[in-house]
Amino acid sequence: MLQATDLTKRFDDVQALDGFSLEAAAGEIVGLVGHNGAGKTTFVEMVSGLQNPDSGEIRVDGRTPARARDRIGISPQHIALYRSITVREHLRLYGRLAGLRPAALRSRIDDLAAELRLTGFLDRPAGLLSGGQQRRAQAATALIHSPGLLLLDEPTAGADPETRQALLEAVKRRAGEGAAVVYTTHYLHELSELQATIAVASRGRIGARGSAAELLDGLPGEVLVGAADGDQVVTTTDVTSTLLELLGTVRGPVEKIELRPANLDDLYRSLAVSDVR
Amino acid sequence: MFGDVPYRTGALVKHNLILRLRDPGQLISYMVTPMVLMLLLKPLYTKAYSGPLNGGVVQAVTGQMVMFSVFAMAIVGNSIFIEREWRTWDRLRASSATKGELLVGKSLPVYAVLVLQQIVLIYYGCLVVGMPAPKSVGLLVLGVAVWGFTLMAMGSALATLVRSRGDLMMASDVGSIAVSALGGALLPVALMPGWARHVAPVSPGYWGLRMTQAAVNGHAGEMMRAASICLAIGVAAGSVAAYRLARGWGRSRLA
Repeated sequence: MLQATDLTKRFDDVQALDGFSLEAAAGEIVGLVGHNGAGKTTFVEMVSGLQNPDSGEIRVDGRTPARARDRIGISPQHIALYRSITVREHLRLYGRLAGLRPAALRSRIDDLAAELRLTGFLDRPAGLLSGGQQRRAQAATALIHSPGLLLLDEPTAGADPETRQALLEAVKRRAGEGAAVVYTTHYLHELSELQATIAVASRGRIGARGSAAELLDGLPGEVLVGAADGDQVVTTTDVTSTLLELLGTVRGPVEKIELRPANLDDLYRSLAVSDVR
Repeated sequence: MFGDVPYRTGALVKHNLILRLRDPGQLISYMVTPMVLMLLLKPLYTKAYSGPLNGGVVQAVTGQMVMFSVFAMAIVGNSIFIEREWRTWDRLRASSATKGELLVGKSLPVYAVLVLQQIVLIYYGCLVVGMPAPKSVGLLVLGVAVWGFTLMAMGSALATLVRSRGDLMMASDVGSIAVSALGGALLPVALMPGWARHVAPVSPGYWGLRMTQAAVNGHAGEMMRAASICLAIGVAAGSVAAYRLARGWGRSRLA
Protein backbone atom coordinates (compact mmCIF):
# COMPACT_ATOMS: atom_id res chain seq x y z
CA MET A 1 0.00 0.00 0.00
CA LEU A 2 2.76 2.49 0.94
CA GLN A 3 6.27 2.45 -0.45
CA ALA A 4 8.63 5.29 0.41
CA THR A 5 12.15 4.92 -0.93
CA ASP A 6 15.29 6.84 -0.08
CA LEU A 7 13.63 10.17 0.71
CA THR A 8 15.69 13.24 1.41
CA LYS A 9 14.53 16.68 2.48
CA ARG A 10 16.48 19.69 3.64
CA PHE A 11 15.03 22.78 5.37
CA ASP A 12 17.66 25.53 5.25
CA ASP A 13 20.52 24.07 7.32
CA VAL A 14 18.53 21.12 8.72
CA GLN A 15 18.61 17.75 6.97
CA ALA A 16 15.12 16.56 7.98
CA LEU A 17 15.17 13.33 5.95
CA ASP A 18 18.32 11.61 4.83
CA GLY A 19 17.61 8.37 2.99
CA PHE A 20 14.30 7.63 4.71
CA SER A 21 12.65 4.43 3.44
CA LEU A 22 9.52 2.79 4.80
CA GLU A 23 6.88 0.38 3.57
CA ALA A 24 3.49 -0.48 4.99
CA ALA A 25 1.44 -3.34 3.62
CA ALA A 26 -2.36 -3.55 3.58
CA GLY A 27 -3.55 -4.55 7.05
CA GLU A 28 -0.23 -3.67 8.68
CA ILE A 29 0.22 -1.17 11.49
CA VAL A 30 3.64 0.46 11.42
CA GLY A 31 4.53 2.29 14.61
CA LEU A 32 6.86 5.11 13.64
CA VAL A 33 8.83 6.23 16.67
CA GLY A 34 11.79 8.49 17.23
CA HIS A 35 12.92 11.58 19.08
CA ASN A 36 11.50 14.98 18.18
CA GLY A 37 13.23 16.09 15.01
CA ALA A 38 13.92 12.54 13.84
CA GLY A 39 11.87 13.14 10.67
CA LYS A 40 8.54 11.51 11.54
CA THR A 41 6.28 14.47 10.86
CA THR A 42 8.20 15.50 7.74
CA PHE A 43 7.65 11.98 6.43
CA VAL A 44 3.92 12.07 7.25
CA GLU A 45 3.59 15.45 5.54
CA MET A 46 5.29 14.09 2.44
CA VAL A 47 2.99 11.11 2.22
CA SER A 48 0.06 13.51 2.69
CA GLY A 49 1.31 15.52 -0.28
CA LEU A 50 2.01 18.63 1.82
CA GLN A 51 5.77 18.51 1.22
CA ASN A 52 7.77 17.30 -1.75
CA PRO A 53 10.95 15.32 -1.19
CA ASP A 54 14.21 16.71 -2.55
CA SER A 55 14.88 13.21 -3.85
CA GLY A 56 13.41 9.73 -3.46
CA GLU A 57 10.01 8.36 -4.30
CA ILE A 58 6.66 7.75 -2.58
CA ARG A 59 3.94 5.48 -3.93
CA VAL A 60 0.54 4.95 -2.37
CA ASP A 61 -1.30 2.12 -4.05
CA GLY A 62 1.08 2.61 -6.99
CA ARG A 63 0.28 6.33 -7.31
CA THR A 64 1.99 9.53 -6.21
CA PRO A 65 0.58 11.03 -2.99
CA ALA A 66 -1.00 13.89 -4.96
CA ARG A 67 -2.96 11.39 -7.06
CA ALA A 68 -3.83 9.12 -4.16
CA ARG A 69 -5.40 11.61 -1.77
CA ASP A 70 -8.75 9.86 -1.92
CA ARG A 71 -6.98 6.77 -0.51
CA ILE A 72 -5.29 8.61 2.37
CA GLY A 73 -6.72 9.63 5.72
CA ILE A 74 -4.63 11.95 7.87
CA SER A 75 -4.80 13.06 11.46
CA PRO A 76 -2.07 15.69 11.94
CA GLN A 77 0.05 16.05 15.04
CA HIS A 78 -1.60 19.33 16.02
CA ILE A 79 -5.33 19.83 16.37
CA ALA A 80 -6.54 21.27 13.06
CA LEU A 81 -10.25 21.93 13.64
CA TYR A 82 -12.38 25.01 13.01
CA ARG A 83 -13.40 26.23 16.45
CA SER A 84 -16.76 27.63 15.34
CA ILE A 85 -17.72 24.58 13.28
CA THR A 86 -19.43 21.55 14.80
CA VAL A 87 -18.07 18.02 14.68
CA ARG A 88 -20.87 17.00 12.31
CA GLU A 89 -20.03 19.89 9.97
CA HIS A 90 -16.37 18.87 9.97
CA LEU A 91 -17.28 15.31 9.07
CA ARG A 92 -19.67 16.49 6.36
CA LEU A 93 -16.96 18.69 4.88
CA TYR A 94 -14.24 16.06 4.76
CA GLY A 95 -16.71 13.38 3.70
CA ARG A 96 -17.92 15.48 0.79
CA LEU A 97 -14.37 16.40 -0.20
CA ALA A 98 -13.69 12.66 -0.37
CA GLY A 99 -16.71 12.24 -2.66
CA LEU A 100 -19.19 10.67 -0.23
CA ARG A 101 -22.80 11.42 -1.21
CA PRO A 102 -25.27 12.77 1.39
CA ALA A 103 -27.14 9.57 2.23
CA ALA A 104 -23.98 7.49 2.64
CA LEU A 105 -22.36 10.32 4.53
CA ARG A 106 -25.18 10.57 7.07
CA SER A 107 -24.97 6.95 8.08
CA ARG A 108 -21.17 7.03 8.02
CA ILE A 109 -21.15 9.99 10.43
CA ASP A 110 -23.49 8.20 12.82
CA ASP A 111 -21.41 5.01 12.75
CA LEU A 112 -18.15 6.84 13.24
CA ALA A 113 -19.53 8.98 16.04
CA ALA A 114 -20.65 5.85 17.88
CA GLU A 115 -17.29 4.16 17.34
CA LEU A 116 -15.27 7.14 18.59
CA ARG A 117 -17.69 8.04 21.37
CA LEU A 118 -18.63 11.35 19.80
CA THR A 119 -22.38 10.90 19.45
CA GLY A 120 -23.22 13.33 22.23
CA PHE A 121 -20.90 15.99 20.82
CA LEU A 122 -21.72 15.88 17.12
CA ASP A 123 -23.49 19.22 17.14
CA ARG A 124 -21.04 21.00 19.41
CA PRO A 125 -18.52 23.48 17.95
CA ALA A 126 -14.99 22.08 18.03
CA GLY A 127 -13.82 25.03 20.13
CA LEU A 128 -16.09 23.91 22.96
CA LEU A 129 -14.81 20.33 23.05
CA SER A 130 -12.29 19.00 25.55
CA GLY A 131 -8.81 18.09 24.34
CA GLY A 132 -9.68 14.40 24.18
CA GLN A 133 -12.92 15.04 22.30
CA GLN A 134 -11.01 17.19 19.81
CA ARG A 135 -8.50 14.37 19.31
CA ARG A 136 -11.33 11.94 18.56
CA ALA A 137 -13.08 14.41 16.26
CA GLN A 138 -9.84 14.96 14.35
CA ALA A 139 -9.31 11.22 14.00
CA ALA A 140 -12.89 10.92 12.73
CA THR A 141 -12.11 13.34 9.88
CA ALA A 142 -9.31 10.97 8.87
CA LEU A 143 -11.55 7.90 8.99
CA ILE A 144 -14.70 9.35 7.40
CA HIS A 145 -13.98 8.01 3.88
CA SER A 146 -12.59 4.61 4.92
CA PRO A 147 -9.11 5.28 3.51
CA GLY A 148 -6.73 2.52 2.47
CA LEU A 149 -3.81 4.30 4.14
CA LEU A 150 -4.14 5.96 7.53
CA LEU A 151 -1.52 8.47 8.67
CA LEU A 152 -1.92 9.17 12.37
CA ASP A 153 0.67 11.58 13.72
CA GLU A 154 0.73 11.27 17.52
CA PRO A 155 -3.06 10.85 17.64
CA THR A 156 -3.12 10.27 21.40
CA ALA A 157 -0.75 13.05 22.46
CA GLY A 158 -2.17 14.46 25.69
CA ALA A 159 -5.29 12.29 25.39
CA ASP A 160 -7.26 10.86 28.31
CA PRO A 161 -7.58 7.06 28.73
CA GLU A 162 -11.06 6.98 27.14
CA THR A 163 -9.79 8.76 24.03
CA ARG A 164 -6.71 6.58 23.84
CA GLN A 165 -8.78 3.42 24.10
CA ALA A 166 -11.33 4.54 21.50
CA LEU A 167 -8.60 5.50 19.05
CA LEU A 168 -6.59 2.33 19.52
CA GLU A 169 -9.70 0.20 18.97
CA ALA A 170 -10.58 2.17 15.83
CA VAL A 171 -7.06 1.75 14.46
CA LYS A 172 -7.07 -1.99 15.11
CA ARG A 173 -10.46 -2.29 13.41
CA ARG A 174 -9.25 -0.42 10.30
CA ALA A 175 -6.14 -2.58 10.05
CA GLY A 176 -8.36 -5.65 10.43
CA GLU A 177 -10.40 -4.37 7.49
CA GLY A 178 -7.24 -4.11 5.37
CA ALA A 179 -6.04 -0.54 5.81
CA ALA A 180 -2.34 0.17 6.14
CA VAL A 181 -1.63 2.36 9.15
CA VAL A 182 1.38 4.56 9.89
CA TYR A 183 1.12 5.52 13.56
CA THR A 184 3.67 7.90 15.04
CA THR A 185 3.88 7.98 18.81
CA HIS A 186 6.18 8.25 21.81
CA TYR A 187 4.20 5.60 23.71
CA LEU A 188 5.68 2.13 23.17
CA HIS A 189 2.90 0.39 25.08
CA GLU A 190 0.35 1.63 22.52
CA LEU A 191 2.31 -0.07 19.79
CA SER A 192 2.39 -3.28 21.80
CA GLU A 193 -1.39 -3.10 22.17
CA LEU A 194 -1.76 -2.49 18.43
CA GLN A 195 0.64 -5.37 17.71
CA ALA A 196 2.44 -2.98 15.41
CA THR A 197 5.78 -3.47 13.79
CA ILE A 198 8.06 -0.67 14.92
CA ALA A 199 10.19 1.56 12.73
CA VAL A 200 12.61 3.77 14.62
CA ALA A 201 13.41 7.07 12.94
CA SER A 202 16.75 8.54 13.81
CA ARG A 203 18.49 11.48 12.11
CA GLY A 204 16.24 11.46 9.09
CA ARG A 205 16.22 7.76 8.31
CA ILE A 206 14.87 4.49 9.66
CA GLY A 207 17.52 3.22 12.04
CA ALA A 208 15.87 -0.04 13.05
CA ARG A 209 12.72 -1.99 12.34
CA GLY A 210 11.07 -4.97 13.99
CA SER A 211 8.76 -5.95 16.84
CA ALA A 212 9.26 -4.29 20.23
CA ALA A 213 10.81 -7.46 21.66
CA GLU A 214 13.23 -7.78 18.76
CA LEU A 215 14.32 -4.17 18.94
CA LEU A 216 14.85 -4.07 22.70
CA ASP A 217 16.51 -7.47 22.93
CA GLY A 218 20.12 -7.11 24.04
CA LEU A 219 19.82 -3.44 24.98
CA PRO A 220 20.97 -2.47 28.46
CA GLY A 221 18.49 -1.56 31.19
CA GLU A 222 19.17 -0.24 34.68
CA VAL A 223 19.55 -1.82 38.11
CA LEU A 224 19.11 0.38 41.18
CA VAL A 225 19.91 -0.72 44.71
CA GLY A 226 19.14 1.72 47.51
CA ALA A 227 20.60 1.53 50.99
CA ALA A 228 21.21 3.82 53.97
CA ASP A 229 24.56 4.92 52.54
CA GLY A 230 23.04 5.93 49.18
CA ASP A 231 21.66 4.59 45.87
CA GLN A 232 23.70 2.72 43.30
CA VAL A 233 22.53 2.69 39.69
CA VAL A 234 24.20 0.52 37.04
CA THR A 235 23.36 0.23 33.35
CA THR A 236 23.67 -3.37 32.25
CA THR A 237 22.53 -6.08 29.88
CA ASP A 238 22.99 -8.76 32.56
CA VAL A 239 20.50 -7.78 35.22
CA THR A 240 20.87 -10.83 37.48
CA SER A 241 24.66 -10.78 37.83
CA THR A 242 24.71 -7.02 38.26
CA LEU A 243 22.05 -7.13 40.95
CA LEU A 244 23.95 -9.81 42.87
CA GLU A 245 27.16 -7.82 42.56
CA LEU A 246 25.52 -4.67 43.89
CA LEU A 247 23.86 -6.48 46.77
CA GLY A 248 27.27 -7.83 47.76
CA THR A 249 28.63 -4.32 48.11
CA VAL A 250 25.83 -2.90 50.24
CA ARG A 251 26.47 -2.28 53.94
CA GLY A 252 23.44 -2.49 56.14
CA PRO A 253 19.84 -3.21 55.14
CA VAL A 254 18.72 -2.79 51.50
CA GLU A 255 15.92 -0.22 51.31
CA LYS A 256 14.89 -0.63 47.68
CA ILE A 257 15.64 -2.51 44.50
CA GLU A 258 14.48 -1.27 41.09
CA LEU A 259 14.96 -3.06 37.79
CA ARG A 260 14.22 -1.00 34.70
CA PRO A 261 14.14 -2.98 31.48
CA ALA A 262 15.37 -1.36 28.26
CA ASN A 263 12.87 1.04 26.76
CA LEU A 264 12.52 3.25 23.69
CA ASP A 265 14.85 5.88 25.11
CA ASP A 266 17.59 3.28 25.42
CA LEU A 267 16.94 2.30 21.83
CA TYR A 268 17.14 5.93 20.66
CA ARG A 269 20.37 6.38 22.59
CA SER A 270 21.93 3.28 21.10
CA LEU A 271 20.97 4.42 17.60
CA ALA A 272 22.36 7.89 18.25
CA VAL A 273 25.65 6.38 19.43
CA SER A 274 25.88 4.13 16.38
CA ASP A 275 25.11 7.15 14.13
CA VAL A 276 27.99 9.07 15.67
CA ARG A 277 30.31 6.12 15.14
CA MET B 1 -13.55 12.50 -11.44
CA PHE B 2 -14.33 15.90 -13.02
CA GLY B 3 -17.95 15.44 -11.96
CA ASP B 4 -16.71 15.70 -8.40
CA VAL B 5 -15.24 19.16 -8.95
CA PRO B 6 -18.52 21.09 -8.48
CA TYR B 7 -19.47 18.78 -5.61
CA ARG B 8 -16.24 19.43 -3.73
CA THR B 9 -16.24 23.14 -4.59
CA GLY B 10 -19.83 23.39 -3.37
CA ALA B 11 -18.82 21.73 -0.11
CA LEU B 12 -16.02 24.24 0.37
CA VAL B 13 -18.22 27.23 -0.49
CA LYS B 14 -20.86 26.07 1.98
CA HIS B 15 -18.24 25.45 4.64
CA ASN B 16 -16.72 28.92 4.24
CA LEU B 17 -20.15 30.51 4.17
CA ILE B 18 -20.93 28.88 7.51
CA LEU B 19 -17.65 30.20 8.89
CA ARG B 20 -18.58 33.74 7.80
CA LEU B 21 -22.10 33.50 9.19
CA ARG B 22 -20.79 32.34 12.58
CA ASP B 23 -18.64 35.45 12.82
CA PRO B 24 -20.77 38.36 11.54
CA GLY B 25 -19.50 41.05 13.93
CA GLN B 26 -17.04 42.75 11.60
CA LEU B 27 -19.47 42.89 8.70
CA ILE B 28 -22.21 44.40 10.85
CA SER B 29 -19.77 46.97 12.18
CA TYR B 30 -18.56 47.90 8.70
CA MET B 31 -22.14 48.33 7.51
CA VAL B 32 -23.67 50.23 10.41
CA THR B 33 -20.81 52.67 11.02
CA PRO B 34 -20.74 54.11 7.47
CA MET B 35 -24.53 54.37 7.53
CA VAL B 36 -24.31 56.66 10.54
CA LEU B 37 -21.35 58.61 9.16
CA MET B 38 -23.07 59.18 5.81
CA LEU B 39 -25.91 60.98 7.56
CA LEU B 40 -23.59 62.96 9.82
CA LEU B 41 -21.17 64.01 7.08
CA LYS B 42 -23.74 64.80 4.39
CA PRO B 43 -24.29 68.47 5.48
CA LEU B 44 -20.55 69.04 5.76
CA TYR B 45 -19.79 67.66 2.31
CA THR B 46 -22.74 69.47 0.75
CA LYS B 47 -21.43 72.80 2.05
CA ALA B 48 -17.77 72.12 1.28
CA TYR B 49 -18.17 70.49 -2.10
CA SER B 50 -18.00 72.81 -5.07
CA GLY B 51 -18.54 70.12 -7.68
CA PRO B 52 -21.68 69.41 -9.67
CA LEU B 53 -25.16 69.33 -8.18
CA ASN B 54 -25.49 66.61 -5.54
CA GLY B 55 -21.70 66.18 -5.57
CA GLY B 56 -21.61 66.48 -1.77
CA VAL B 57 -24.17 63.73 -1.27
CA VAL B 58 -22.40 61.48 -3.76
CA GLN B 59 -19.14 62.12 -1.89
CA ALA B 60 -20.77 61.38 1.48
CA VAL B 61 -22.16 58.06 0.26
CA THR B 62 -19.42 56.78 -2.04
CA GLY B 63 -16.62 58.07 0.18
CA GLN B 64 -17.91 56.21 3.22
CA MET B 65 -18.72 53.17 1.14
CA VAL B 66 -15.20 53.01 -0.27
CA MET B 67 -13.62 53.74 3.10
CA PHE B 68 -15.49 51.01 4.94
CA SER B 69 -15.19 48.55 2.09
CA VAL B 70 -11.43 49.00 2.46
CA PHE B 71 -11.85 48.35 6.19
CA ALA B 72 -13.70 45.17 5.22
CA MET B 73 -10.42 43.83 3.87
CA ALA B 74 -9.91 42.83 7.50
CA ILE B 75 -12.75 40.32 7.04
CA VAL B 76 -10.86 38.79 4.13
CA GLY B 77 -7.63 38.84 6.11
CA ASN B 78 -9.23 37.20 9.12
CA SER B 79 -10.88 34.51 7.03
CA ILE B 80 -7.46 33.44 5.78
CA PHE B 81 -5.57 34.09 8.97
CA ILE B 82 -7.74 31.73 11.02
CA GLU B 83 -6.81 28.96 8.59
CA ARG B 84 -3.17 29.59 9.49
CA GLU B 85 -3.86 30.03 13.18
CA TRP B 86 -6.03 26.91 13.46
CA ARG B 87 -3.72 24.92 11.12
CA THR B 88 -6.74 23.97 9.04
CA TRP B 89 -5.43 25.09 5.66
CA ASP B 90 -2.84 22.31 5.46
CA ARG B 91 -5.48 19.84 6.61
CA LEU B 92 -7.63 20.94 3.66
CA ARG B 93 -4.64 20.75 1.32
CA ALA B 94 -4.20 17.12 2.32
CA SER B 95 -7.78 16.34 1.29
CA SER B 96 -8.96 15.38 -2.20
CA ALA B 97 -9.75 18.99 -3.07
CA THR B 98 -7.45 20.58 -5.65
CA LYS B 99 -5.70 23.91 -5.10
CA GLY B 100 -8.12 25.59 -7.48
CA GLU B 101 -11.14 24.21 -5.62
CA LEU B 102 -9.71 25.36 -2.30
CA LEU B 103 -9.09 28.87 -3.61
CA VAL B 104 -12.53 29.19 -5.20
CA GLY B 105 -14.22 27.72 -2.14
CA LYS B 106 -12.41 30.20 0.08
CA SER B 107 -12.88 33.22 -2.15
CA LEU B 108 -16.51 33.10 -3.18
CA PRO B 109 -18.17 33.59 0.22
CA VAL B 110 -15.76 36.39 1.16
CA TYR B 111 -16.31 38.03 -2.20
CA ALA B 112 -20.04 37.78 -1.65
CA VAL B 113 -19.65 39.55 1.69
CA LEU B 114 -17.70 42.41 0.09
CA VAL B 115 -20.23 42.81 -2.72
CA LEU B 116 -23.15 42.63 -0.29
CA GLN B 117 -21.65 45.38 1.85
CA GLN B 118 -21.27 47.72 -1.13
CA ILE B 119 -24.75 47.02 -2.47
CA VAL B 120 -26.38 47.60 0.92
CA LEU B 121 -24.49 50.88 1.43
CA ILE B 122 -25.30 52.24 -2.03
CA TYR B 123 -28.93 51.22 -1.65
CA TYR B 124 -29.01 52.89 1.76
CA GLY B 125 -27.31 55.97 0.30
CA CYS B 126 -30.01 56.33 -2.32
CA LEU B 127 -32.97 55.57 -0.06
CA VAL B 128 -31.98 57.29 3.18
CA VAL B 129 -29.16 59.76 2.52
CA GLY B 130 -30.61 61.12 -0.70
CA MET B 131 -28.02 60.19 -3.28
CA PRO B 132 -29.58 60.32 -6.76
CA ALA B 133 -30.21 56.94 -8.35
CA PRO B 134 -27.18 55.80 -10.39
CA LYS B 135 -27.45 56.75 -14.04
CA SER B 136 -26.29 53.30 -15.13
CA VAL B 137 -27.01 50.30 -12.95
CA GLY B 138 -24.86 48.15 -15.26
CA LEU B 139 -21.80 50.34 -14.71
CA LEU B 140 -22.39 50.36 -10.98
CA VAL B 141 -22.72 46.56 -10.84
CA LEU B 142 -19.48 46.26 -12.79
CA GLY B 143 -17.79 48.74 -10.47
CA VAL B 144 -18.96 46.89 -7.37
CA ALA B 145 -17.77 43.59 -8.84
CA VAL B 146 -14.34 44.95 -9.75
CA TRP B 147 -13.83 46.77 -6.43
CA GLY B 148 -14.89 43.66 -4.51
CA PHE B 149 -12.31 41.63 -6.41
CA THR B 150 -9.58 44.21 -5.78
CA LEU B 151 -10.30 44.30 -2.06
CA MET B 152 -10.47 40.54 -1.80
CA ALA B 153 -7.13 40.15 -3.54
CA MET B 154 -5.43 42.82 -1.43
CA GLY B 155 -6.83 41.42 1.82
CA SER B 156 -5.81 37.88 0.90
CA ALA B 157 -2.28 38.92 -0.01
CA LEU B 158 -1.96 40.80 3.25
CA ALA B 159 -3.13 37.81 5.31
CA THR B 160 -0.69 35.46 3.63
CA LEU B 161 2.29 37.74 4.25
CA VAL B 162 1.91 38.93 7.86
CA ARG B 163 3.51 37.03 10.71
CA SER B 164 0.93 37.47 13.46
CA ARG B 165 -2.63 38.53 14.20
CA GLY B 166 -1.25 41.77 15.66
CA ASP B 167 0.57 42.47 12.39
CA LEU B 168 -2.63 41.79 10.49
CA MET B 169 -4.69 44.16 12.64
CA MET B 170 -2.04 46.85 12.45
CA ALA B 171 -1.66 46.53 8.69
CA SER B 172 -5.44 46.46 8.20
CA ASP B 173 -6.10 49.52 10.33
CA VAL B 174 -3.22 51.69 9.18
CA GLY B 175 -3.51 50.48 5.58
CA SER B 176 -7.25 51.06 5.45
CA ILE B 177 -7.02 54.58 6.82
CA ALA B 178 -4.11 55.43 4.52
CA VAL B 179 -5.62 53.86 1.41
CA SER B 180 -9.07 55.38 1.87
CA ALA B 181 -8.03 58.78 3.22
CA LEU B 182 -5.31 59.32 0.61
CA GLY B 183 -7.73 58.09 -2.02
CA GLY B 184 -10.16 60.87 -1.19
CA ALA B 185 -12.77 58.85 0.65
CA LEU B 186 -12.62 61.00 3.78
CA LEU B 187 -11.86 64.36 2.23
CA PRO B 188 -12.41 65.03 -1.48
CA VAL B 189 -9.08 65.03 -3.34
CA ALA B 190 -9.75 68.56 -4.58
CA LEU B 191 -9.73 69.82 -0.98
CA MET B 192 -6.60 67.97 0.09
CA PRO B 193 -3.18 69.68 0.46
CA GLY B 194 -1.04 69.83 -2.66
CA TRP B 195 1.34 67.03 -1.67
CA ALA B 196 -1.60 64.72 -0.89
CA ARG B 197 -3.21 65.47 -4.25
CA HIS B 198 -0.01 64.29 -5.92
CA VAL B 199 0.24 61.15 -3.84
CA ALA B 200 -3.45 60.22 -4.07
CA PRO B 201 -3.26 58.23 -7.36
CA VAL B 202 -0.82 55.81 -5.71
CA SER B 203 -3.64 54.67 -3.43
CA PRO B 204 -5.97 51.90 -4.69
CA GLY B 205 -8.71 53.74 -2.79
CA TYR B 206 -8.33 56.68 -5.18
CA TRP B 207 -9.17 54.45 -8.16
CA GLY B 208 -11.89 52.65 -6.26
CA LEU B 209 -13.56 55.94 -5.41
CA ARG B 210 -13.15 57.36 -8.91
CA MET B 211 -14.58 54.17 -10.37
CA THR B 212 -17.58 54.19 -8.04
CA GLN B 213 -18.33 57.88 -8.51
CA ALA B 214 -17.95 57.58 -12.28
CA ALA B 215 -20.31 54.60 -12.24
CA VAL B 216 -22.88 56.52 -10.15
CA ASN B 217 -22.64 59.51 -12.49
CA GLY B 218 -22.79 57.30 -15.60
CA HIS B 219 -19.35 58.29 -16.96
CA ALA B 220 -18.47 55.07 -18.74
CA GLY B 221 -15.02 56.08 -20.08
CA GLU B 222 -13.68 57.31 -16.76
CA MET B 223 -15.22 54.35 -14.96
CA MET B 224 -13.59 51.82 -17.29
CA ARG B 225 -10.18 53.47 -16.95
CA ALA B 226 -10.37 53.36 -13.15
CA ALA B 227 -11.75 49.81 -13.28
CA SER B 228 -8.83 48.58 -15.37
CA ILE B 229 -6.36 50.02 -12.84
CA CYS B 230 -8.28 48.39 -9.97
CA LEU B 231 -8.28 45.09 -11.88
CA ALA B 232 -4.53 45.31 -12.42
CA ILE B 233 -3.98 45.90 -8.69
CA GLY B 234 -6.30 42.99 -7.93
CA VAL B 235 -4.55 40.61 -10.32
CA ALA B 236 -1.13 41.48 -8.89
CA ALA B 237 -2.24 41.08 -5.27
CA GLY B 238 -4.32 38.01 -6.12
CA SER B 239 -1.32 36.32 -7.70
CA VAL B 240 0.70 36.78 -4.53
CA ALA B 241 -2.15 35.42 -2.42
CA ALA B 242 -2.85 32.44 -4.70
CA TYR B 243 0.85 31.51 -4.75
CA ARG B 244 1.13 31.62 -0.97
CA LEU B 245 -2.15 29.78 -0.38
CA ALA B 246 -1.35 27.04 -2.87
CA ARG B 247 2.00 26.38 -1.16
CA GLY B 248 0.61 26.48 2.36
CA TRP B 249 2.70 27.41 5.36
CA GLY B 250 4.04 24.03 6.38
CA ARG B 251 5.45 24.24 9.85
CA SER B 252 6.44 27.88 9.68
CA ARG B 253 5.46 29.44 12.95
CA LEU B 254 3.18 32.36 13.57
CA ALA B 255 4.63 34.93 15.90
